[in-house]
Amino acid sequence: MAFMRKKSRVSGEIPTSAMADIAFLLLIFFLVTTVFDEEKGLQVVLPDAQSEIAVSQENLLHLTIQPTGTVLVQRGASPEVQTVSVSQIEAIWRAEAANNENLIAAVQTHPEAPHRHMIAVLDQLQLANADRISLQLLEE
Amino acid sequence: MIRAGGLKRKSKPASEIPSSSLADMAFLLLIFFMVTTTFRKEQSRIWDAPLADATQKLEVKRRDVLHVFVERDGSIFINDMLVPTDQVSDVVAPIYEESERRLVISLRADRDVPYVYVDAVQKELQEAGAVRVAFYTELEQRVTATIQ
Repeated sequence: MAFMRKKSRVSGEIPTSAMADIAFLLLIFFLVTTVFDEEKGLQVVLPDAQSEIAVSQENLLHLTIQPTGTVLVQRGASPEVQTVSVSQIEAIWRAEAANNENLIAAVQTHPEAPHRHMIAVLDQLQLANADRISLQLLEE
Repeated sequence: MIRAGGLKRKSKPASEIPSSSLADMAFLLLIFFMVTTTFRKEQSRIWDAPLADATQKLEVKRRDVLHVFVERDGSIFINDMLVPTDQVSDVVAPIYEESERRLVISLRADRDVPYVYVDAVQKELQEAGAVRVAFYTELEQRVTATIQ
């Protein structure tokens, strides 16, 4: 060959302009798919398996939950039983607890009652700041 | 055109912000998310949580929480294992001891489970000594607020 063509210099750099785009896309993927699993709910402290404390009837408010979701309210040993809906329980508790600060809520749930009814009653009691709650199964 | 003597031509303002560090920032944020993302250890189960207004966030470390699922038919799942009712306390007791009595049980019972199953689980938990129980509920927004 008479003369050598000057070799064209091959560019030694890969265009990296798309790197930022890819980084942002991956970032947005993680931002969108991250789900935070919150621990939340209604807290209770169960009594020990063996402990059975004797409580006098006058410190008890019996709440019996029927499978339909209605609640029967009985104050202590009084024979009078009141049928109420769940939304009234907060007010009832506040009224009763105002007279007796040692009041204990004895919640007895029918075995076939859906769980959500017990939760609704527990919810009302916790909204009313009841701190002594006993959760039992209604024995037939 | 008015020409003041000796007025230099204004330099054109740079119209581009240097974006060379954009990729650096993006990768830093990406690495942050990749490092802090933790994946669920257990499968999500099919169930509906009951609603409650008094739902509160639990102030407890993630590793001190044990999820106990009670499905609509009453079957109990702990750590992706189907556990018969009478064995629940055998499963929970060692975990409770290991957590040095800090264990909180997140009792995730479907809203329509007959209460008898939930009560059975509670009795087993009492037997195992794990008495700190939280019934998992979703927050229900009351439409009308009662004025106390």
